[in-house]
Amino acid sequence: MTQIPTTEAYDVVIVGAGAAGGVIADRATAAGKRVLLLEAGPARGLQDLVSSQIWARKLKWAGPSVEEEGSEKIGHAFNTGWGTGGSAMHHYGVWPRLHENDFNVSSEYGIGLDWPISYDDLRPYYDRAQSEVGISGDAASEIWRPPAEKYPMPPVPTFAQGSVIAKGFSELDLATSPIPLAVNTTRYKDRAGCLYDGWCDAGCPIGALANPLATYLGWALAAGAELRNNAWVTRVLHDASGARATGVEYVDRSGERHRVQADMVFIAAFTVQSARLLLASASDKHPSGLSNSNDLVGRYLMTHPSVAVFGLFEDETQPHLGATGGQLMCQENYDNKKTPGGGFGSYQWLIANAVKPNDLLGIATSRPDIRGAALQPFMEKAVKHFGNMVCIGEGIASADNRVTLSSNKDAFGEPLAKTVHNVAEASGIMRDGALKQGKAVFKAGGATEVWSGPPGAIHIMGGTVMGNSAQDSVTDSYGRCHELENLYIAGPGLFPSSGAVNPTFTLHALALRTAEHLFNV
Amino acid sequence: MMRSDPTGLSGRREFLQRSGLMLGFTLGAQSVLLTPAQAAAEKIPLSTLTDAEAETLAAIAEALVPGARDAGIVHFVDHQLSAPPEEALLMVKYLGVPPAGLSGFYRGALAGADAAARARFSKLWPALNAEQAAEMMALLNGPDPEGWTGPPAGFFSFALRADACDVVYGTEVGFEKLGVPYMAHIAPPSEWQV
Repeated sequence: MTQIPTTEAYDVVIVGAGAAGGVIADRATAAGKRVLLLEAGPARGLQDLVSSQIWARKLKWAGPSVEEEGSEKIGHAFNTGWGTGGSAMHHYGVWPRLHENDFNVSSEYGIGLDWPISYDDLRPYYDRAQSEVGISGDAASEIWRPPAEKYPMPPVPTFAQGSVIAKGFSELDLATSPIPLAVNTTRYKDRAGCLYDGWCDAGCPIGALANPLATYLGWALAAGAELRNNAWVTRVLHDASGARATGVEYVDRSGERHRVQADMVFIAAFTVQSARLLLASASDKHPSGLSNSNDLVGRYLMTHPSVAVFGLFEDETQPHLGATGGQLMCQENYDNKKTPGGGFGSYQWLIANAVKPNDLLGIATSRPDIRGAALQPFMEKAVKHFGNMVCIGEGIASADNRVTLSSNKDAFGEPLAKTVHNVAEASGIMRDGALKQGKAVFKAGGATEVWSGPPGAIHIMGGTVMGNSAQDSVTDSYGRCHELENLYIAGPGLFPSSGAVNPTFTLHALALRTAEHLFNV
Repeated sequence: MMRSDPTGLSGRREFLQRSGLMLGFTLGAQSVLLTPAQAAAEKIPLSTLTDAEAETLAAIAEALVPGARDAGIVHFVDHQLSAPPEEALLMVKYLGVPPAGLSGFYRGALAGADAAARARFSKLWPALNAEQAAEMMALLNGPDPEGWTGPPAGFFSFALRADACDVVYGTEVGFEKLGVPYMAHIAPPSEWQV
């Protein structure tokens, strides 16, 4: 067997140059640590973010395939990013907080898992990230918002689409508020304000949306963190005792293998690949994978069960304007997780998302049944009168939903990830109820036609969940693996429950909590 | 703490009119950058699809989204199938078709479409008259029609319709025809805008 030389040593090696890795890199660099980020995908800068829904596909996963099974596949290729900035390069900047009871669904409802920390533990880091990154919103109108600092920027404007849909909510006595977005409505800390032209999905090149290059990752790189692209990490290495990670092995684009030594290793490779890497790093000391003596790595894989409501309105809606994440939100009754008919889970509405004519979430694809000569008239009407909103529902942590290693291998001979994800019956009931409500809202708002998209899974969480001990979890509350003292996980894979809010804000807060605990900055 | 702008991009839209990507085609001994529509008009040789496959693809795409043929659907799809898998931009990559399997997906479906047309009308899809083509199109959206091979017919129809919408509606020209302001931060240099 060819010996792979270890040629470099760093204080901190981070697998994955996305949102979570960026936060860790920023704080570690600020503490004077020598930091290396290894990113599987290609180099990418803000100047590469061409405004095109076709171009936007370059931001999505193009690495080794993930084999997906289950009643609702996780949509890895759509939900996962590829290249510098990771998944958050294409995220929409919707940054609501988890609610207090999202942290204890097991103890309160007997469903899923509790977090080892509470909202109060995480709140200071939410507030810090909010201040450092900048969030626009109207705290007073978010009657459902947990205790928190006010937003540092005024909310995004409500355009015509938001106004007509808000009328429907109002008719049903449901409150709406401006959506909290990590999108600048004013110039904020050297970053430009948003132009509201709806290209968030293609990445925001002016840095108005808080993608990693515009925030923590960019700050870390400016401060001296090193980024190496096209570096596919194949395993985490450990010492003879198996108690300490010593570095990582990666393969570059030419297929050459390298080893890098590190005092501290972070895996921030997003949910599926983080779990895959722990499993693929099996050794004589850890025969079933790192931190997996209790067969918990990969388990509790979660998504947010979602569904979109579409409609056409008499009024012109200017649906191309605004942010992709939406203009308004509704979290009415969020804290009551028991829904009618035996359903379970909170949900929220993201209202009046900016849409383009084409692409998976575009106007044309919302009505795949319209073809041929009927399509052009529909499009001409819809680009002026279209309305849409998305339900984000809570997923339930189930040990049977998991990431495992496939027997199939990638081009470098490494095992592919395989996922199984079934949606719980109670989640389906919750979503059905939400969809019924959403259609009623559109009708109350004056929609002349209302339809919905197929149920789907968005956001990917769990798989390397945090907890109190190795008996119930993979890591502690700081993401430190129970079985290797200097190996950490960062990202939404740590979430023991999903809540029903977009995960990027929470993963930032968690990563800040970990980084400040470790580096004291 | 005060942060600097590591990107050097502190301006607004006017600062950001930078190059995106053009489609590279081979014309004679030269590599040229063309839109798919231009490539179609220039009859640029295809790299992956056969002429017969291209005819079938164009016929189905045009039936799904009128205007797709002239907008260069054949050269758009052929270019993507011929690119390195990680560069592929076809929407179906979102839907569980791995980039390395895209060529097989499209070619398998096109073979299936011709097989189904032959089973029903004893001729290939491009030779169908309008009435026959309409009947076949309706069949594509149900269970696989008799004779069909390859990926599920309905899934293929959904994917190809999305591709056709890309070239017809997803470009700056397409937006303009619909009366939608494009408002690019970084405008792709070609009207195809990839």
